[in-house]
Amino acid sequence: MKAPAQAMDLQDIIRTSVLEVRGDGKAGGGLVLAFQSLASLMLRDDDMHVQEWPFFSSARRGANIRSFLRISRRPIQAACEVTRPRMAVLMDEGAARSVDFAQGVPPGGTFVFNTRHTPEECARHYHLSGRVVTVPGDDIGTKHLKHAIGNVSLYIAAARAIGGFGVEQMVDAFLETLKKRRIPAAILERNRAALLASAESIREGIFDEAGPDDHPLQEWSGYGDLPVGAQTPLRLSQSNRTADYAPSGFRLRFEDPATACTGCAHCITNCPEGIIRFVPDTERGLLVTGVDIGTFCKLCGECIAVCPEHLFKEVPFEDRWEEVLSS
Amino acid sequence: MKESIVPAAPMAHHTTPSGEIYPGALNLEPVRAAHQVLHETRDTITADGNTAAALATLQMWRCILFAGFPITPSTKYIETVAAHISQQVGGKKRVKLMEAEHAVADYLVGAAAACRDLIFPTATSSVGLDHMTETTRSLGASGLGNVLLIDVYRATANFPLCIEGDPSDTLAHRDDGFIQIACRGKQQIYDTVIQSPCLGMHHDVMTPVMPGYYGIKDSHRNARLVVEPDREIHAFQDRWIKPCPFPGLVNGDTAFGNCVTSRHFQGFKVSQKRRMDRVLDVLPQISADFERQFGRPGLAFFDAVGFGDDGAADFAVVSLGPDFGTFEAVREEYAKRTRLKVAGIAMRLLTPFPRDAVRKRLERTKAVLVVNQAHHQGRGHLTLDVADALADLTTPPRIVSVFAGIGGADVSEITWEQMLDHGRGALEGRALPPWAVFHEGRQL
Repeated sequence: MKAPAQAMDLQDIIRTSVLEVRGDGKAGGGLVLAFQSLASLMLRDDDMHVQEWPFFSSARRGANIRSFLRISRRPIQAACEVTRPRMAVLMDEGAARSVDFAQGVPPGGTFVFNTRHTPEECARHYHLSGRVVTVPGDDIGTKHLKHAIGNVSLYIAAARAIGGFGVEQMVDAFLETLKKRRIPAAILERNRAALLASAESIREGIFDEAGPDDHPLQEWSGYGDLPVGAQTPLRLSQSNRTADYAPSGFRLRFEDPATACTGCAHCITNCPEGIIRFVPDTERGLLVTGVDIGTFCKLCGECIAVCPEHLFKEVPFEDRWEEVLSS
Repeated sequence: MKESIVPAAPMAHHTTPSGEIYPGALNLEPVRAAHQVLHETRDTITADGNTAAALATLQMWRCILFAGFPITPSTKYIETVAAHISQQVGGKKRVKLMEAEHAVADYLVGAAAACRDLIFPTATSSVGLDHMTETTRSLGASGLGNVLLIDVYRATANFPLCIEGDPSDTLAHRDDGFIQIACRGKQQIYDTVIQSPCLGMHHDVMTPVMPGYYGIKDSHRNARLVVEPDREIHAFQDRWIKPCPFPGLVNGDTAFGNCVTSRHFQGFKVSQKRRMDRVLDVLPQISADFERQFGRPGLAFFDAVGFGDDGAADFAVVSLGPDFGTFEAVREEYAKRTRLKVAGIAMRLLTPFPRDAVRKRLERTKAVLVVNQAHHQGRGHLTLDVADALADLTTPPRIVSVFAGIGGADVSEITWEQMLDHGRGALEGRALPPWAVFHEGRQL
């Protein structure tokens, strides 16, 4: 472990210029709600100026999305996206497979994670220099909200990292955002419990694990060769790495040790990504041999639903970090 | 025995060129009385653009029917309205979810024609506005200034689809006959929606209004919003909205959209143009009154920054929408670095285009950089309007036309700096292309 780096004083940035925050997550994961709540919290201070907005496309649940936040004690004029954030937030580690969530963050920046890993493990795995804050949001969500949704915890961790507000104010601001969405009172109470539990579960440290070539700002390389008239191959999804849409923590598994496949081909015809592998078979017509889950399986569950022999299953899966294992 | 039939006394009425009007046939006092107050006091809240627009219409006592059809990025407007109305106990306001946008526009015609003293709002976007086109053209010509069609800017129908903010939809509808006002930021959206019916229903204007704001960049951006008490909004609007002098379908004997021959069609269009031109006189009056009452700037032809007291500037940007804020953020530093006086205007009133005011603002500028954000076959919609406005000057500033942010693309600080560098070429007498597109600090 290298010597600790200095961490930027975020409150000082808010006082003297603009604190820019960027978050990465997946559609449906609650990132937007977390950022809206952060904006509401900051606006409890009458002298604070805030801008918060999401970036998403028409892609479905599970697609990568981003949220942006600007906080300042001065009026904020800039309206462009945040490319050099002083604080980067990662809601879903699966989202980091598609983007460099820490891109453009200068040394001494703040990084906030929804993860079971420790700050030290995150700093080493993602090559980070600065302050690293973690909270096991999915576990807290599972316990209190019966759903592995980490936005409640991530909000508290991010609010704590920014500073300036007590836990009670943080809890109130989040619940206020939920009330605007007309969430029933019983659910609000469960969220309150999750918020308080999150505040107790935050860990942080300051690390210096980034090399000079880590997380550089990428110069835009142009649009490349665009197809005339936006005409594209029908199988556009196979260039979209649809596996990233799958919920984190699960993976599809095909197992047929007794060769029970009947060759009915329901899985093949129902798979929207065309990733079921099969071979010709004289007896059945065809025999399913596996599924290519690496790139395109988005865990839609069609094959699981239609297979008469129940040969497809959704199984828990956890990314193993080599660095963590070796340490 | 034969019953004698005694005819009822005829209701008081008088004749207008549009037919008989029966002023006593409609009593709107119960409508006013049934309004359920949303804000008793001036409050500060966190809101995005769609919420700001929805709250403004919900606070008007004259808005009782909200027809709509969802389309990204405007959907949250009708969702917010529906959520509030569903919470009102015993409320009389209603949301009508229609089959499609064309049906919404037809509904607006019917409702607005039925009662010309109530306001009928909706919000749509992109292809939603395109689907309405057949009817919006009729609405624009109808004199139904009580229609409020909020357009959440999004790249209009084309390949490929895109759900983000690009004013090509509103700019494709410049000739629909609507007053078109662009907003940037939550407060401007809220304030503009409140003032719009005052403008549209003014007896000199009688033209529907299409306020608009950028999808995602403003529709989904949260910030602080000051909302006014309902009673203050009512007092303001009541000062400007007087009973319509023309009959509606309920209080009159009239018909809309008759077929005429060429002997008259042109005459109707001249009248339509004159009503539109009067916006240029009425809008500043409404704006001044709004500012007096609420202490914030009212409607404007444009927002101007960086011009000296003498109105002079070396170089001025003309654009619209929230990306102008990023220009404002880099302007001073850029001016210092280049030792130029850099100014800019963000257009608010798109239709009618305030050509005289634009000319006056830019007449002492050496070069003008027009930043267009919507696809156009030539130099850009905004460029053509600016060029037209400056054409009468003896020595007009040189106009440089660029595009950026098409389809809602991000317009970063470095992109603004590159565009300013490009436009500065005009001051140095360099030959420049008729148009250029910029993104991420590069000329494409």
